Amino acid sequence: MWVGFTSAKHLPDELDRSDDWIDTQIIGIAGSSGSGKTSVAAQLVKRLNLPWVVVLSMDSFYKELNPAQSKLAFENNYDFDAPTAIDFDILVDRLQDIKAGKKAEIPVYSFEKHQRERDKTTTIYSCHVLILEGIFALYDPRVLELLDMKIFVDTDSDICLARRLARDVKSRGRDVRGALQQWHRFVKPNFELYVRPQMKNADIAIPRGIDNITAIGVWLQCLRSTIVTSNANGGTRRVDMVVKHIQRALRTKSEAHLKKIAELGERVLEKPLTDNVTVLEQTPQLRGIHTILQDRMTNREDFIFYFDRLSSLLVEKAMDRMTFTTQQVLTPLDRPYMGLRCASAICGVVILRSGGVFEIGLKRVVPDCKIGRLLLQSNIRTGEPELHHLKVPPNIGKHQVLLLDPQIASGAAALMAVRVLKDHGVEEGNIVFLTYMATKVGLGRLNAVFPELKIVAASVEEEWAGRWIDEKYFGC
Amino acid sequence: MSTTAPDTVVEGCAAAPIGPSYREKDEKPQATVSGKIKFDTVHVLPQTPQLIALLTIIRDKNTQRGDFIFYSNRIIRLLVEEGLNHLPVKEHEVTTPLGRTYAGVRFEGKICGVSIMRAGESMEQGLRDCCRSVRIGKILIQRDEDTSQPKLFYHKLPNDIADRWVLLLDPMNATGGSASMAVEVLKGKGVAEERILFLNLIASPEGLEHFASKFPKLRVITAFIDEGLDDKNYIVPGLGDFGDRHFGTLND
Repeated sequence: MWVGFTSAKHLPDELDRSDDWIDTQIIGIAGSSGSGKTSVAAQLVKRLNLPWVVVLSMDSFYKELNPAQSKLAFENNYDFDAPTAIDFDILVDRLQDIKAGKKAEIPVYSFEKHQRERDKTTTIYSCHVLILEGIFALYDPRVLELLDMKIFVDTDSDICLARRLARDVKSRGRDVRGALQQWHRFVKPNFELYVRPQMKNADIAIPRGIDNITAIGVWLQCLRSTIVTSNANGGTRRVDMVVKHIQRALRTKSEAHLKKIAELGERVLEKPLTDNVTVLEQTPQLRGIHTILQDRMTNREDFIFYFDRLSSLLVEKAMDRMTFTTQQVLTPLDRPYMGLRCASAICGVVILRSGGVFEIGLKRVVPDCKIGRLLLQSNIRTGEPELHHLKVPPNIGKHQVLLLDPQIASGAAALMAVRVLKDHGVEEGNIVFLTYMATKVGLGRLNAVFPELKIVAASVEEEWAGRWIDEKYFGC
Repeated sequence: MSTTAPDTVVEGCAAAPIGPSYREKDEKPQATVSGKIKFDTVHVLPQTPQLIALLTIIRDKNTQRGDFIFYSNRIIRLLVEEGLNHLPVKEHEVTTPLGRTYAGVRFEGKICGVSIMRAGESMEQGLRDCCRSVRIGKILIQRDEDTSQPKLFYHKLPNDIADRWVLLLDPMNATGGSASMAVEVLKGKGVAEERILFLNLIASPEGLEHFASKFPKLRVITAFIDEGLDDKNYIVPGLGDFGDRHFGTLND
């Protein structure tokens, strides 16, 4: 039942987006209840072998039930298997955010209460691949628009029933009679009416899904063995094709993005940096510290001492870029003094791992500073930065943020870090990027892409030599 | 108080919009900035918003002692860093961890700190933050209650002080009396005037003028030149008694 990549042609169009490195690939997996969608998703995650693949279940998007509906639901008489049970509006809204690289809050649905959990959401941010899995993943035309790949898991309905029964009875504590009743009243008719027709929307149909032997009771073994042997290989092959296709799409996207960054670099080299970029004045003392830090013979003890000293100075300099307001005080002699105070709280955000070298300096200046962290790592194949971890204060948008990374190379990682902060509600003008050494190109790119961003650097390099500061500081 | 301001004051301390150059003038908050004085040897730290905010905290009479110590120490570090910039360096080439040649400089000359007791001792931490194992000498000068003139009680200095650059520490320079006496002690030990750097948080225009004209080769690094002195020779608006606030010896 091979349909082919009929709509794959729209992938390259996405490359026109200005920030295409966060253009998430979204894969939809639809299929009957019990068809093995979750197994296919798990198989995909495993084969893709990427750390930033997220599986999103459409179960999170069930509509909230009113008391009458709720009563029906508790009596097993509510139709959860019709498209009307799904809140497609919210789903589309969240998918659009994810696609655009923004933070998306996913509702948490309670099956016990048939309501969404109040004040409880799961955050999805900046995954490169999102797998949307649900019986109606290929149903709503607006969702179809957003999908980069559409998969239909086509499984014989007897197997679906068997799996569903096994699951309902075993892990959801239902009785066999109720589960069967549910199947005949809702699941089966809906499958014919709404689920199966989605196959025409699919790029690829995976017959039978992946083997999921353990969930099925012993009484099914006979039946299973015949079908599995005939179809399992076909299914696995299809999954491989999907994986290859996604990997290719990601690679094309990376190449285009890196090319764009390179072009941006050529353009910015001709433009002078604006006032928002501060490079420390190269005083004799500062040059002396640079010399000690740059000397390969300097031992780690000295290196750490001088680096901490310099980083305190850098942070002091960065604090000058914060916003202040007038503040009148009385001195102990009861004389007024019209001074200033910082307009809002400061939050440091460390770009791991190397940004950690600034933490001592930061604490010397702002001892109670809140500190967020984000882990960016360069993809070994493409060299492109990828967001692997993010933990920042929830109200970070109300802070003035010091973004910390001792070295700026191409600027790609820095661009991404600033973008991440902006996506979390921090105003561009409230971010100060702090660095020890930056390349001219990297500074220029940051300055050109984010004109409101403030940058404070201790030195400027003509060309990139490599990352080494964190290695010497941490000793590994 | 500006009635007694000496002629060398180019500009008294006054309100001004302050902030970085990329901000529009009406976006810059108003604050009182340091006065300016007509001596090449006097270096006032740049009046950045951050420095003013730090001074605001330590001037505030409601600031708790822990904060006073922490924030004054931050200003002191900035003073030390600025002071160290006046020390000589020599061209020095090194090889970087990545195997490149880096044309840098090496620090030249030995240094030591000398604190004027007791308030000057509160600046030692800031000095050590920047220069780990620096030698620190002490000079105890107190005001004679009868004559109200400063009097030397005690000093303990490195033996080779004549070969060293001296960072002289005293946070408040009111009349310049104690600092002048300390400089005389140092000169008596053979320290050249041009090798002394006086680090100071807040100075009165009078005291600074007195001191700077008496020692024309000595460099002064200060964070703020204040309005003037009151009738008890306290700097106004000032921050009260620095030593008392730092060491916690005030009446509660």
